[in-house]
Formats: sequence, C-alpha cells, structure tokens
Amino acid sequence: MRARDLAVEYESVRVDDGALEAARLMAEHQLPGLLVLDRDGEPKAILPASQVIKALVPAYVIEDPALAAVIDEKHADRLCDALRGRRVGDLLSDKAARPPIAAPDDTALEVAALMAQARSPLVAVADRDKAGLNLLGVITASQLLHRLLGHAEPHE
Amino acid sequence: MSDWHSWAAIAVFVVAYAAIISERVHRTAAALAGAAVMLTIGATDDTSAFFDERSGIDWNVVFLLLGMMAIVGVLRQTGLFEYLAIWAVKRARGKPFRVMTMLIVITAFASALLDNVTTVLLVAPVTLLVCERLALPAAPFLIAEVLASNIGGTATLVGDPPNIIIASRGGLTFNDFLVHLAPIAVVLTAVLVVLCRMMFRKALVYDEDRAGEVMALEEREAIRDHRLLYQGLAVLALVVFGFVAHPVLHYAPSVVALLGAGLLIAISKVETGEALKEVEWPTLAFFAGLFIMVGSLIETGVIGEISRALADATGGSELGAVMLLLFGSAVLSGVVDNIPYVATMAPITADLAHGFGGDGVHVLWWALALGADLGGNATAIGASANVVVLGIAERNRQPISFWQFTRYGLVVTAVTVALSAGYLWLRYFALS
Repeated sequence: MRARDLAVEYESVRVDDGALEAARLMAEHQLPGLLVLDRDGEPKAILPASQVIKALVPAYVIEDPALAAVIDEKHADRLCDALRGRRVGDLLSDKAARPPIAAPDDTALEVAALMAQARSPLVAVADRDKAGLNLLGVITASQLLHRLLGHAEPHE
Repeated sequence: MSDWHSWAAIAVFVVAYAAIISERVHRTAAALAGAAVMLTIGATDDTSAFFDERSGIDWNVVFLLLGMMAIVGVLRQTGLFEYLAIWAVKRARGKPFRVMTMLIVITAFASALLDNVTTVLLVAPVTLLVCERLALPAAPFLIAEVLASNIGGTATLVGDPPNIIIASRGGLTFNDFLVHLAPIAVVLTAVLVVLCRMMFRKALVYDEDRAGEVMALEEREAIRDHRLLYQGLAVLALVVFGFVAHPVLHYAPSVVALLGAGLLIAISKVETGEALKEVEWPTLAFFAGLFIMVGSLIETGVIGEISRALADATGGSELGAVMLLLFGSAVLSGVVDNIPYVATMAPITADLAHGFGGDGVHVLWWALALGADLGGNATAIGASANVVVLGIAERNRQPISFWQFTRYGLVVTAVTVALSAGYLWLRYFALS
C-alpha cells in the first residue's frame, strides 16, 4: 500500500481565511487538524485543533493558570469570541514548520515515520514537478492506524 | 594600584560588565566567565573567593535569596495573590482610579516581602483580566504596578536584591531597613498614587455596565489548596518574625529564610525537588560570579583607590557624598542592572562610610539603596520587573513601548528621588 492509495480528500483552509470559520470546520467534521495552504495553494502548515484551542484561552490565563478558575461560566462560554477578526495565519505558531509531505510512492512505514518525526496528526501527499507541488490528498493518523491494524494479528 | 594585576582586573571587570549590560551573553555566563578569568590571572584566589567575608562570595546573600525563592515558589502555588487582587478590585467596585490605587498598594506591599519580579508576575495577569472586563487599556495599570513594585521593594531588607547585598555588606538588620527606609517607601507609594492619577487621568474612564463584569469574577476559586495557603502564610509570618526578632534571636536573615523554607517543605505536601525547582539557580550563580569579580577589585586595591577618589571629589562633605551617591545611583540604575551596580558600589560605600567615621548604620547606605532601587523605575530596562511586565504585555497583545514606559518612569523617578533627597537631608542632617 502506497501513500497515493492511502491519500483521501481532506478539508483545507488558506492562511487568509477566517479563524472562526476554520474552527467551525474542525468542529463540524471532528477533524484533528486542518491543512493550511499558502496563497499559491501549496501546503504551508498543519493547524492542529490543540493550537486553535490554545488561541481561545486568554494569554493571561496561560501566564497564570490559577485565573482560569476565577472566570465565571458566562464568560467562559464566550471564549470563541477571541477568534473573531483573526485569520488562520494568526493562529499558526511562529515556529510552525511546513507540513510533512509524503511522495505518492512512499510506503505506509515511510508515511508513519514521517508522521512520528513531525508529531503531526496529518501528512500531505503531493507530487513535485517543475511547476511546484501538486496536492493529491492527505493521510490522517487514524486512517493510517486503521490500515496498519488491518494487517495485525488479533490478540487472542 | 600600579601592578599589572590591578589593570588586568579592571579590564576583565569592564569587559564582563559590558557583556552583562549588552545582554548579548547570558548575564550568568558573563559573570562566571569574568570570575574564572580573575581566578586564572591571580587577581584573587580560592581562599579569598570562597572564604573571605570581605572579598569573597557573600554566602549570606546567596542563601537568603535561595531560602526566599523556595518559600515564594510554594506561596505562588496557593493562588493567594490572585485572590487578593480580585478581592481588592471588587471592593473598588470597578472604578478605574480606585482599582489602580488598590493594585498599586497591593503590589507595593507584596514587593516589600517578595522579590519584585515574582510580585509583578503574579499581579500583571490579573490586571490584564480586570482591564479586559473593564474595557480599559492595561498599559497604565501595568506601568503603575511596575513603578509600585520598585518603590515597595525599597522598604525592606528582602524587598529588592540590591537591599540584600547592602544589608550584608553594611551589616544592617531587617529592622534597620524598617526604621530608615520603610517610612519613606510608604510616602513614595502615596505620591505614586497621586502621580498616576495625574499621568493616566484620560485612561481612567468609568463604565457602570463594565464594572458589573468585574463583580462576576469568582476570587475564591483562585485558592487551590487552602491547607497549603495556611501553611505558607504561617511560615511567612514566622520568617518575618525571625527577621524582626534579630536583636533577640541573633539569627542571620539567610538562616531565617533557610529555616523557613525547610519548615515549609517539611510540613507541606510539596516535594523537596518541586520547591527547589522554583529556585532561580542561574541568578544565584550570577551573584557568585559577581562577588568574585568585585572581590578581585577589592583584593587588587582598585576599590580602595576609587573610594579615595570619590571621597576627594566630595571634598570631605558627608552631605555631598550622600547626594552624589543618591543621584548617581539613580541615574546609573536607570540604564544598567542595579544588582551588579550595587555589588560594585557596596564595598566603595563601606569605605566611604568608614572614612566618615560611621561603621554601623550610615546614611550613605540608605542613599545607595534609595538611588539604586528607585532608579530602576527610570527606563523600561532599569529593573528586571520592568522587562518582565513589558514581555507579558506584548504576549497579551497590549504592547508597551520603551518610550511609553520611560516617559512615565522618568517622571516618577525624578519626583521620588528628589523627595528621597529631601528625606535624607531632613532626617540625617537638618534634624540630627
């Protein structure tokens, strides 16, 4: 089984898209993260759901976690307001690396190694030619596990 | 001071000091490297560096800092400061000037007992939360708190690291600081409140609806561990008692702080490793390196020469020396870290005090403490607390620029140092 066979169509957003819409997309489809494309449509980064959650938490609560307890429920329910007016690019960490990209011919083990190395829930599969990267799809961690478990012997 | 050791020691000191100021090299690395070169060239030796009370590492300073860091590290986990700050803001009913006054008073008081950086690390996040609720810009409040922490830290022996060095080198007790510096620190805090009212008047706009948002905060939830809170407060009270009861108990402040830290770890569930993790080991190593560097200047006679030159410059006038030390320290502490500055000036001050015939509690020590502590307010980089708060403000997308801070800091420094000059003159010259 090669990367091209494992790759599926996957939700992606552009760096200039709204952060709130990206969060909605993740929530509606229960996605572990989104593939972020740059202005040329090439993979720029993976936006993990945990990064979106982090953006919801006020920075002063990150500085002093004790403050999380003093915020009343009414305000805690309005945390998503923090995403209003922000772009997907604003949510990406300054240190966000380019997403792990597998070649179409990579084996499942190569994809797994790439995913483990980058600690990413997603791996993009793309063809590289003179014009640049041609995105074929995305492999998710759960999908890869499913594929690998399919070959494992039952425990008993 | 003609031998090559003296000139080599001066060169090493200047290079290491420049490296510390430039912040291109970690200050601990610069101080330790300077100390290493001093030992290598023979400007000092192991006996002096490790065992000489006059020119070696001041273990009283190092262990007092270690003990207090461990105690504060445990206290931080209790949520006490967050509780106090929100409680006070709610008592102020969300009225901006009252809120600012409460936060200034809490910060100044806490800074007198804890180090300034810890205090602002605890107060700044609560302030950002409160300002968000009140829809007020956080910068005026954060700036006021930094200024309050540097003023409040002046009040006691443990309030600011320069005071710890001054106490140890000058043989001054906790009570000496309470008697000589705490009164002026209280006055200066009150003056700061008035100055803040004038400087930030436009930003302090009251909105009744917004004030209601503050009243919804649940401060009691901040206390995470009631048992630990009572244990921490009991130990802190004992430690303060130990400092104050020095004339009777005769325990050095460092011993009191270490006993307090040990007691707190013994009676609480906090693991020893966990409490020691809160100790800023690089800062302690920085102090050790600094003491060896300054000790080398003492051993080679450089400090003695500088003291004589300064004494000559003041023409034997005690008042002149006091004012020179106060204003000179304020100016220099505004641009360089006041810890290395005071570590360098302490032996010079001791020489000058000796020259004026006062080996005990001498007004020159108070001039040095007031100048160095208050001077830290002058610019955005004058003290560690300033730098820490500017970092927090930036991470919370409420950046405070260097000049935004400095234009208020300069005003407050000028007023507080001028008032301190009046205080020193009145108390130690006009009325004595």
